[in-house]
Amino acid sequence: MDINFTQEDLQFRDEIRDWLANGGYPTHVKHKTDNGIALTKQDMTDFHKAVSAKGWMGYNWPKEHGGTGWSATQLYIFNKEFGLGGCPPLLAFGVSMVAPVIYTFGNDEQKKRFLPDILEFNTWWCQGYSEPGSGSDLASLKTKAVREGDHYIINGSKTWTTLAQNADWIFVLVRTETTKIKQEGISFILVDMKTPGIEVKPIITIDGDHEVNSVFFTDVKVPAENLVGEEGKGWTYAKFLLAHERFGIAAIGTSMRQLKRLKNIVSELDNPEMEKKVAELEISVSALEMTELRLLSALENGGHPGAESSILKIKGTEIQQTLTELFVEAAGEYALMYPGPHGFESNSKPEGPDFVAQSISAFLNMRKVSIYGGSNEIQKNIISKFVLGV
Amino acid sequence: MNLNYSEEQVMLKEQIQKFCETEYDFYKREDVVKSDNDFDSKVWSLFAEQGWLSMPFSEESGGFGFGPIELSILFEEFGKALVIEPYLSSVVLSGNILDNSSFADKNNIIESICSGSMHVSLAYAESTNKYDYTNPLTSLSADSKLNGTKALVLNGANASKFIVSCNSGDDLALVIIDSNADGVSVTSFPTVDGQTCSEVSFENVLVSDANIIASGSEANDLLLRAINLATLCVSAEAVGCMTSCYLKTVEYTKSREQFDQPISNFQVLQHRMVDMFIESELCKSLLIKAMLEVDTNSEDMFKHVSALKAQIGKSGKFSAQQAVQLHGGMGVSDELMIGHYLKKMLTIDALFGNSDFHVKSFSV
Repeated sequence: MDINFTQEDLQFRDEIRDWLANGGYPTHVKHKTDNGIALTKQDMTDFHKAVSAKGWMGYNWPKEHGGTGWSATQLYIFNKEFGLGGCPPLLAFGVSMVAPVIYTFGNDEQKKRFLPDILEFNTWWCQGYSEPGSGSDLASLKTKAVREGDHYIINGSKTWTTLAQNADWIFVLVRTETTKIKQEGISFILVDMKTPGIEVKPIITIDGDHEVNSVFFTDVKVPAENLVGEEGKGWTYAKFLLAHERFGIAAIGTSMRQLKRLKNIVSELDNPEMEKKVAELEISVSALEMTELRLLSALENGGHPGAESSILKIKGTEIQQTLTELFVEAAGEYALMYPGPHGFESNSKPEGPDFVAQSISAFLNMRKVSIYGGSNEIQKNIISKFVLGV
Repeated sequence: MNLNYSEEQVMLKEQIQKFCETEYDFYKREDVVKSDNDFDSKVWSLFAEQGWLSMPFSEESGGFGFGPIELSILFEEFGKALVIEPYLSSVVLSGNILDNSSFADKNNIIESICSGSMHVSLAYAESTNKYDYTNPLTSLSADSKLNGTKALVLNGANASKFIVSCNSGDDLALVIIDSNADGVSVTSFPTVDGQTCSEVSFENVLVSDANIIASGSEANDLLLRAINLATLCVSAEAVGCMTSCYLKTVEYTKSREQFDQPISNFQVLQHRMVDMFIESELCKSLLIKAMLEVDTNSEDMFKHVSALKAQIGKSGKFSAQQAVQLHGGMGVSDELMIGHYLKKMLTIDALFGNSDFHVKSFSV
């Protein structure tokens, strides 16, 4: 057994640290994330363009499609260092969701058409999966696509669509056939958000922010060439995509960074109860980090960890949520105030700790993490079925 | 022994329930939250007409002489409907201090509170107090000038008067100040649950002897009792929230179908909802214990209110978080009521000491 990374991996880590510390990470974006200021669309674009310019955008793609071809360990290090460096999470919808489906199941024309723009972050993608009646039971989806000549006509609605208000394209799961087995008859189609008949309506969440949307499709006419792979095989692609969504789900780097911030705050409070809670959380973080490393080691040494990765989702999100709870607790009585996701106006800030607004915003926003990407209850079902075999 | 409400108390409960159902649904509440005022003057007048604003004042002060049991009933129902009218600041906190004081001018002010024509806010908190409200830095000098900054003044934006805790020599004092007096400045901020609270600064504000409500041990006693009563009230509010959380979650999981069946069929969700129910019943038990202790003015009343608030801090957040989780995406949507219970629970946890603080107070 050897817990150390190789010399090459350490060099790789240092290269990332150097890039983050020495101007690679756009300073205006870094300033905002360091101070808990919400990022604009332009900030997000600037950040992604910078990552792209460095050649890291295809972090989980094989080399043949223009990706980095990194090993699982390198991918782990990349994700952790970006989290530790306080970067916003890289938007997954293009690069790590739709792109692997396109380069694995799409035709050459689609690869040429979509992959370069994803790598350069010229297009912003969003995900058309959940529907009002289909959340955990995704395969029950009802949005319909009917083939008419060279086109599909799409009708239905998608919900909880993250940042659809910014998106150029959406990948949607649609029903192209009504079948006995609901997983059959689903297709995977790429839709230009400018197509007539698409309407995006904001859903405001309890933190007061506009992050998610409802997307309505009324007689939306999409060229048949936008179908990825075979008609009716969409469920296979959807499952393949969800496996890629697991990337970085433990958010270990981000949590370690937040933990450090929390420890600094709590050390000033003279509050033994809080110190104990922070120590307990630190132990959980350590256990999670080591669990992820064990899965990584198995992967690098010929193993095929499968459903065990659901542990990362469950514990990773629990830790993220507990962190936000402790920040709120550290704010004490001042946690009464919440000016909304954009914080207090700079010319009228109240006395009291300066992390209040950010903490409440994060607490409320992070309620979603145990719900999305397969709720934690669903993750436990997966472990019980595929690992425990019950 | 009989732990049931009296007939009159049941009537009061039904009266408040009826109001919440007919006059204060979630959409109405959202209108109030989004308005400039953080209360609705029509609703406030209605509260006055129903006698709810005079309810806890003694009969000598022109009130009904109702006690902590009736207040708990009111707040529990307010919690269920997430009523955000500023009852706590004027009627409970300021009202209780005035009512129990020997302040000469108290009857006029109480009358104005009862009629709904005046809001009075208690300025008890400061940025450094860590829930110990009896040693304020705000000071009243020998030449009668008040200086200092008070934090988190509930409903400060609407208050015509502030009752301010301050130090005067080595003593605690409670003074009453007009909000438009020279040297008073008020900046208001939104709270998590959609109300406002204010930062109120006093700069050389002149305080006449006639405006000193109490000082020394009397001030200490008045302040601690008022805050204890308010702690009981917000805890009762939390119990109401918890009740609604499990009831609404049961209703939702029975109607939400996934995998061709209502999700309430899944045992893991059933057990979670049972846990929510149990937590809410345990809190209700501690609430009943605490309100009876406060009602009899017992020596242990502070301790029992601490037990209640300590449990609320844990169980309340658990219930609201699980309600959100079991509602899935709907739980985090601002358009639905359910996520607002979580915000209310955050607010209640921040007020008057969180769970850790009250565990410690209980054990002392």
